[in-house]
Amino acid sequence: MSADAATHDDHTPSMWDWRRWVFSTNHKDIGTMYLLFAIFAGIIGGGLSGLMRWELAEPGLQVFNNGFWGNEHNYNVATTMHGLIMIFFMVMPAMIGGFGNWFVPLMIGAPDMAFPRMNNISFWLLPFAFILAVMSMFVPGAGGDMGFGGGWVLYPPLSTSGHNGPAMDLLILSLHIAGVSSILGSINFITTIFNMRAPGMTIHKMPLFVWSVLVTVFLLLLSLPVLAGALTMLLTDRNFGTAFFAPEGGGDPVMYQHLFWFFGHPEVYILILPGFGIISHIVSTFSRKPIFGYLGMAYAMVAIGFIGFIVWAHHMYTVGMPVDLKAYFVAATMVIAVPTGIKIFSWIATMWGGSIEFRTPMMWAIGFIFLFTVGGVTGVVLANAGVDQALHDTYYVVAHFHYVLSLGAVFAIFAGWYYWFEKIFGVKYNSLFARLQFLFFFVGANIIFFPQHFLGLQGMPRRYVDYADGHAFWNMVSSWGYVVMLIGMAFFFLVLIDAIIRRRKADANPWGEGATTLEWTLSSPPPFHQFSELPKIK
Amino acid sequence: MIRLPASQNTRVALMAAATSITMVGAAFAAVPLYNLFCAVTGYGGTTTIATGEAGAILDREMTVLFDANVNRNLGWEFSPVQRSMTVRVGETALAYYTATNITDHPITGVATFNVAPFKAASYFSKLECFCFTEQTLQPGETVQMPVLFFVDPLIDEERRLDDVHTMTLSYTFFESEGDAASSDAAP
Repeated sequence: MSADAATHDDHTPSMWDWRRWVFSTNHKDIGTMYLLFAIFAGIIGGGLSGLMRWELAEPGLQVFNNGFWGNEHNYNVATTMHGLIMIFFMVMPAMIGGFGNWFVPLMIGAPDMAFPRMNNISFWLLPFAFILAVMSMFVPGAGGDMGFGGGWVLYPPLSTSGHNGPAMDLLILSLHIAGVSSILGSINFITTIFNMRAPGMTIHKMPLFVWSVLVTVFLLLLSLPVLAGALTMLLTDRNFGTAFFAPEGGGDPVMYQHLFWFFGHPEVYILILPGFGIISHIVSTFSRKPIFGYLGMAYAMVAIGFIGFIVWAHHMYTVGMPVDLKAYFVAATMVIAVPTGIKIFSWIATMWGGSIEFRTPMMWAIGFIFLFTVGGVTGVVLANAGVDQALHDTYYVVAHFHYVLSLGAVFAIFAGWYYWFEKIFGVKYNSLFARLQFLFFFVGANIIFFPQHFLGLQGMPRRYVDYADGHAFWNMVSSWGYVVMLIGMAFFFLVLIDAIIRRRKADANPWGEGATTLEWTLSSPPPFHQFSELPKIK
Repeated sequence: MIRLPASQNTRVALMAAATSITMVGAAFAAVPLYNLFCAVTGYGGTTTIATGEAGAILDREMTVLFDANVNRNLGWEFSPVQRSMTVRVGETALAYYTATNITDHPITGVATFNVAPFKAASYFSKLECFCFTEQTLQPGETVQMPVLFFVDPLIDEERRLDDVHTMTLSYTFFESEGDAASSDAAP
């Protein structure tokens, strides 16, 4: 076996050989494909949000007026698909599929994932799921209107009797396939992390990114099947005459909400936890200090994952819950602030007294910590059932979850992107462009989402194509913020183009002594097969 | 390349796969569990079905308000005969609703129900109710539909329910989905 591996080491297949990618069993190649897929899906998901901000820039109908693209229904299709694409086809592939595949084996000193062929299937299911989702936008959804416009939560009866066309069926199939992909990926990660750590790497010596992926994939394994079950019930309610969610047949639409949010709440932690891992490494690297409170950091993530399963009904305060039940969910939800606070304060304590270097990834990481904290604070506000009664389904909620996801998860992805760019692609990037991207992103994203708090407090509801004139000012501001963020994205692509053209050879470890994890002991890019000789961890 | 025995990887993978399959099962188990949970706790205003009359009649009085709703797809008129009724706790009372089919074809309907405040719902006991079965109305037909109920005297032993002096019984009629509906309609 080892002799075989040695001969493989010297021949890295050509980049232009299609079989290298389609038949790939190499965790690094698959990780790269995940990252490129996430960028592609992100362009489409981000484009949809551009249409929404364009529409909402002024009162009245600008875009969805039967002129440019469809009618008011298509605005709701855009919000729905923006949410689903960003969650299932951008953030999850980037964090878990991309960085997870790349760096979990490298960080634990493993030669590859435990099941390389299953890894290939996990990836290649995703483009097909994505194609189905995009197709659903262009087939009849509700009556003659194209696409499914019921929001990413897919609540019945709008997703059953409300959308009689095939759009919703395509969407269900798409999410089923994406779910299977994620579950297979999760099984792979769990096996890899449990069985393939290098000698000496005990579970309490694992890098925090590996910890974060481990917790994330457990959440996926426990929550995604529940979504699959709920989606199957939607499918049979729609097509086979069952009445799981139809009161006229003895069902209950509220049960869907319970099932959905039993998945949905862990899902938002799935989106952010790998980001926590990435940020820990970056903060530690550029403060030249080991992470403060390593065990606390690891078990804070475990605690967040656990509590994430017992707070789901705080998304449903308005369905008519007894007061006592609301009281429980309020209290349980606020408890999440404790482990999250442990993480925030440990990052700050790591920086405290460190010799901090403001390299590009560190700027993104500090931006993440600040913005995530803002989103966390509004989260505690929304956790109150009484307050939520007024703010439910307003732009305040939109602002809250974009601060933790669009500005939290996405900033973490870009932080990881610039932290590992040289390691992944083997070339340096132009840090001036990358910093300009950060600048425009930070300013733009805040201009987009901060005013949405005001709009929500003024009572502007989510998922409407138009609004009262009184909301005009902050909507205009928010839409200009999108333009600023778009300039940031232009710099992102400029970084890519610059890196492709200049091809400056990367260093094995560009970050110096602060970068202590195993991936920095390898060349950049790492050899096609690594760790034929397993590293020993002291 | 050093590999652990494949069987160990397979074992972990199978355990993980079994976990995810169990969770799919748990999602479907939610259906009966949800019904059970509602019936036991009165969650969402689920009332109790009683087999016999209450053991005792107390002096405490309870005003019961009657509410009626019709799903917009159902061509019926549906209303309570009496707006409200004051009963003693434990006393068995009979209330009527009236329904008219205003279309020109027979329609089978089924009613869902709840009681507000939710915290008291499990103490609202029905002996007989039109909501236990489907109702078929011929074109133009009007029927009076009875509800035989009492408020469980055990309500007096719950301190947190001392402030409950009014209960609202609400029905919503839907067009029956046909065969699939009949067995599940009356939990």
